[in-house]
Amino acid sequence: MKLLMKAALAAGLALSASQAYAQQTVKVGALYPFSGGLALLGDESFRGLEIAVEERNAAGGLNGKKIELVRGDAVDPNQAVGEARRLTSVDKVSVIFGTYSSSLALAATQVAQLAGVPYFELGAISDPITERGLKYVFRTNPTSKDFANRMVDSVIEAVAPALNVQPKDLKIGIIHEDSLYGQTVSSFQQARAKEKGLNVVETLPYSAKSVDLTPVILRLKSANVDVVLQTSYQNDTVLFFRQMKDQGFKPKAVIGAGGGYSTRDTAQAVGNENIEGALNVDFPQYRTNPQAAPGIDEFVKKYQAKYGIPPRSGHSLTNYMGANVFLDAMAASKDLKADSIREALLKVDIPMGKTATGWGVKFDEKGQNTRVSPFLMQWQGGELVTVFPPEAAVAKMKTGVGTN
Amino acid sequence: MDVLIQLLLNGILLGSMYAIISVGLTLIFGIVRVVNFAHGEFLMIGMYAVYLLGAHLGLNPYVSIVPVVILLFVFGALVQRFVIQPLLGADEHIQIFATVGLSTALVNLALLVFGADLYSLTVPSARQAVSAGGYTMLVGQIIMFACAVALVAGLHFFMQTTALGRAIRATAQNRNAALLMGVRVDRIYVITFGLGAACVGLASALLIPLYPVTPTIGTYFVLTAFVIVVLGGMRSIYGAFVGALIIGIVDSLSGYYIAPDLKEVVYFAIFILILIFKPTGLFGFGRGTE
Repeated sequence: MKLLMKAALAAGLALSASQAYAQQTVKVGALYPFSGGLALLGDESFRGLEIAVEERNAAGGLNGKKIELVRGDAVDPNQAVGEARRLTSVDKVSVIFGTYSSSLALAATQVAQLAGVPYFELGAISDPITERGLKYVFRTNPTSKDFANRMVDSVIEAVAPALNVQPKDLKIGIIHEDSLYGQTVSSFQQARAKEKGLNVVETLPYSAKSVDLTPVILRLKSANVDVVLQTSYQNDTVLFFRQMKDQGFKPKAVIGAGGGYSTRDTAQAVGNENIEGALNVDFPQYRTNPQAAPGIDEFVKKYQAKYGIPPRSGHSLTNYMGANVFLDAMAASKDLKADSIREALLKVDIPMGKTATGWGVKFDEKGQNTRVSPFLMQWQGGELVTVFPPEAAVAKMKTGVGTN
Repeated sequence: MDVLIQLLLNGILLGSMYAIISVGLTLIFGIVRVVNFAHGEFLMIGMYAVYLLGAHLGLNPYVSIVPVVILLFVFGALVQRFVIQPLLGADEHIQIFATVGLSTALVNLALLVFGADLYSLTVPSARQAVSAGGYTMLVGQIIMFACAVALVAGLHFFMQTTALGRAIRATAQNRNAALLMGVRVDRIYVITFGLGAACVGLASALLIPLYPVTPTIGTYFVLTAFVIVVLGGMRSIYGAFVGALIIGIVDSLSGYYIAPDLKEVVYFAIFILILIFKPTGLFGFGRGTE
C-alpha cells in the first residue's frame, strides 16, 4: 500500500512537472525544404536557425522559457501551404521561421498571415514576399533588387576605379537566364544602370537549358562589351565560362548574381584557373573580415563542433543572423502575440557592421530590413573571397577573368 | 562575315551532337513506334556511367564508348522487353505513361544517388581549341561530327546489307506484313530499342568532355530531338541527320541575329511550316504508310 502511494505521488509529481514544463516552452515553426531537390541548401539554412535556438536555450531560453523547434518539410509550394497550416493550427506555434526558396516563402507566408502568426523570412530573396503588405511577415535578408543594385553599383564603385576609367565609358552587357529569377534581377539591373547613367550595350536573355551559348558570347564580343553582368544557375554558368574561353572572349570583368557563381562545383567544372577573377554578388560567405561581421568566426566554430564539418554555404550564417534578430525581438516583446512582436520588431535598430553577416537591422513598415546589402566577392585561387565593401574585404580586387 | 562563318561552323557542330541523339530516337520512335519520353534520361544514365568510369577507373571518355554503348544497348533492350512489350497491345497513351513514369523515376533515382550537384570530367585533349583562319572549334566537337557521320553511314550499311537490317526496315514499313513473312517482330523491337539506346550511349561519351552531368541533363536535349525526328520524317536516319544539322544551324544563327531566348520560336516556326507544306517530314515515306 505504501509502495502504491509512493508510486502515485511520483506519478503526480511527474505530471505536474511536465505541465510546468509545457508552460515553460515556446514553440516555433521551422519551415524549410528538408527533402527533395532543394533539400541540401534548405537543410543548410535550417542549421543556422538551429544553432541560434540552441545558443539561446543554453543561455536560459526566451525570458526563462525553453524554445522548442517544430519542423515543417516544404518540398514544393503545395506542401509549404500544408505544412504551414499544420504548424499554425495543430502545433500552434508562436512564430514561423523559413524558408530558403522564394516560391515556398510566397505560398507559406499567406497561410501564416491568415492565421495571424508572425512569419520570419531568413533567406528567400524575391521582392514580393515583403511587398504584398502582409502585416506579420518580416525579412532580414536582402532582396533581388538589392542584388541587382549591388551588381550595378559595383561597376561604378569597384570595377571602374580598379581599371582607372570613368564608369560611363565601360560597355556593359547584361545576360540572364529567362525564368522569373533572371527576369527579375535583370530588370532591376537595367533600371539601376539607367538611373546611374551607365552604358548598357546588350541585354540578352537565354534559356537556362541552353546547350550552346556561343551566339550570346559572339554578340557580347561583337559589341566589345567590357563588363558582363550575369544572372544564372549552375549549368549555364559553367557553359558560359567554358565557351567564353573557347571563343577567346576577354571581358574586363564578369559579375554574377549568386546562384551558379557561388558554388565550388561550378569552380571545379570550369577550372579554378578559368574562373579566377570572376566577381560575384551574394550573401556573406565565410571569407569575410570579422571586424565587419562580429560573431562570424564563433559561428563557424560552433557549426564545426555541432556538425563535424565546416559550413557548406553562407546560407546557415544568414539564417543564424536573422534568427538572432527575431529571437531578440521576441524576448523584448511584452508577450508573444503577433501585434506585440511586430511592435518590438519595428523598434529594432542595429547599425551596419554589428551582426554576424555584417548587416544592420531596421525594418520598414512592410517588414523588410532596409540595412542590408549583399557583398561583392571574387574567385581568387579557388576561393570565394570578399573584396567589397572595403570594411568587409579580406583581399584586394583583381581585374580580368581567367587566364586568357 | 567572319561571325557568320563561325556561327555556321558552330551550328553544324551543334547539329552533329543533336544528330547522334536523334538517330537513336528515330530508331525507337520511328521503328518501334514508342514515344520514348525517357530518351533524355538514357542519356543521363550514359553520362553518369562515363563519369564514373572516368573518375574511378581513369578511363578516357573515348575509351568508355565501348562499355557504355554495350551497357545502354542492354538497358534499352531490357526496357523494351519488360516495360514496353507488355503494353504493346494497349493504347498508345498507356505506353506514353510508362515512358514518362520511367523518366521521372530515373531522374529521381539519380537525385537520390548523386544529388543535384553537377559532376564533370576534365578532358583537356577534347577541350583543346583548334583555330583555322580565325575560326575556332573544339577537338571534342570535331570528334562528335566525325562520329555522327560514321554512325549514319554505319547504320545505313547495316540496314541495307544485313538480314537483320532488312527485317528492321520491313517491320518499320508494315508490322503485320513483316510478321506474316516470318519476321520475329517482338525480337526486332527489342534489338531496335537497344540500338536506339546504344546511340545515346555513344552520345553520352562524346558529351561528357563538353557538358557537366546533372540529373536533369536529358531534358536539355530531348525536346529538340523529338522535333528533329519528326522534321526528318520519322523513320529516316538521314532525315534525322539532315534535320539535326538544320536545327543546329538555325539555333546558332537565330541566337545571334534575332535573340538567344527566341531561337526556339524560330525553329518551332520552321518546324510548323515544314509540317504544313510537307506533313510527312523532309524524308518521309509519304502518306498511307503505317
